[in-house]
Amino acid sequence: MASVQDRVIEVTARVLQLDAGDIKPENNFSADLGAESVQSIELVAMFEEEFGIEMEEDAALAVTTVGSAAEFIEGICKEQGVEV
Amino acid sequence: MRLVLFDRQTESRINFDPVALCRPIWELRCGMTSLGEKLIAKIGASDVVGFVPDYMADVYREQSSWSINNSASLAGEDLLLVNARVKAESFDIEPTGPSQVAFDENGDCLFARIAREDLGKLITDSIDGLIDSAHEACPRYEEKVATWNYTWDLILNNPEQLTKDFTAAGQAGNDGHVEEPSAIRGSRSDVYIGKDASVHPMVVIDAEHGPVFIDEGAEIHPFTRIEGPCYIGKKSILLGAKCREGNSIGPVCRVGGEVEESIIQGYSNKYHDGFLGHAYVGEWVNLGALTTNSDLKNDYSDVSVMLDGKNPIDTGSRKVGSLIGDHTKTSIGTLFNTGSYVGAMALIAGTGKPLPKFIPSFAWFLEGVVTKGFGKRKLFETAKTAMGRRDHEWTSAQEAMWEEIFKITAEPRMDAIKKGRRALRAQRS
Repeated sequence: MASVQDRVIEVTARVLQLDAGDIKPENNFSADLGAESVQSIELVAMFEEEFGIEMEEDAALAVTTVGSAAEFIEGICKEQGVEV
Repeated sequence: MRLVLFDRQTESRINFDPVALCRPIWELRCGMTSLGEKLIAKIGASDVVGFVPDYMADVYREQSSWSINNSASLAGEDLLLVNARVKAESFDIEPTGPSQVAFDENGDCLFARIAREDLGKLITDSIDGLIDSAHEACPRYEEKVATWNYTWDLILNNPEQLTKDFTAAGQAGNDGHVEEPSAIRGSRSDVYIGKDASVHPMVVIDAEHGPVFIDEGAEIHPFTRIEGPCYIGKKSILLGAKCREGNSIGPVCRVGGEVEESIIQGYSNKYHDGFLGHAYVGEWVNLGALTTNSDLKNDYSDVSVMLDGKNPIDTGSRKVGSLIGDHTKTSIGTLFNTGSYVGAMALIAGTGKPLPKFIPSFAWFLEGVVTKGFGKRKLFETAKTAMGRRDHEWTSAQEAMWEEIFKITAEPRMDAIKKGRRALRAQRS
């Protein structure tokens, strides 16, 4: 099974219409990947759908990079008892 | 005699959502005044107290001079308890007399007249206790008591109620300022222009088919046409509006475009072109330019409305527009389907197509789906800004009430958010 980070990259690529191979953990969603505000909301929704979790909007939108998103999601999955 | 208006958190209360989510049902408007004002006038009460759902009590205390949710007010006087849903016009019960209670077929108390000497036999430490004990102990009133049952009842009765309220107000003439050339059609005795109200040149007031009441401090800008029956609230501004018959516009609104047989509670803006028909709009709403609602289906069949996001209710009317909750904002070009329910504190970006008929409270409707958006904190910040612009304070009590409304409205919102995520995923696959 793909790692959380790989799945985060896959979702990010799909939403932002980028090549997954070009996305690095240190990339900032907005500054490096060009995510606009509506796309940030869409990313949160798609992460929730991908992992079957519920995220609190303020906390989720405060996450800025791909790598920190993967860590944040791993934490949420643990909290909500979702196996990844 | 003390009049006790009550609005309990019963199952049927949802019938007045989304506009009653943040206020007692008796504050809703029909005609020139609120349902509560009509009840007080009909009963002739000077001593009035209120009981509202607990979560809105602190906010309503800030807005009202009455004693609110105070069980001490349930003692020491003859009491007339009246449900906010009771129609004032047909309420012909003597305010004092032997104790008597009326309930509807769903077990909702409609009124309870309780003689002071009977209070000792009843539970008076809460409104629920008093009603339940009166239900057991007091004789029943067996006649039918007429009630308002849904928000759209208010919309559909608005034109008739406007005419009755104008007659009851007994005012006609001009206490304001009318600039020439302006035109009044129909009888001048069917028009009232209040103190400090200003009617600019090139305005037509058409009272041929019903009266027009322009309240204190209202401004009617050029190229506005107002058809009676109509009420324009205090300090509201019409901006070249096509204000067709049957509108009640509350205080401090900005209204342009075409509006027909609609009620706007107050402090809301529909500044630009776009059609609003057979709608009820709450407070602090902003309808972006060209926001339009349908109020008639193409097959002329009765309009249904979903109050819970699942079960359509047949309104029995061919014309019902949108029900729009407080603090909701729409983008330019938003199109609402016939009989739409648009929750409170929602933020809506139009898609160019008619939107789903149910948009839950606190929804961020973006990219054609309901999302969590930037969350409720951001919506609260916007509400605070909007209220501040009209010298109103977003208080801690307001915030606590809206936090509770967020919880009350969670289920249909989460359903819509999940559906939205699936739709987005399908779009992106």
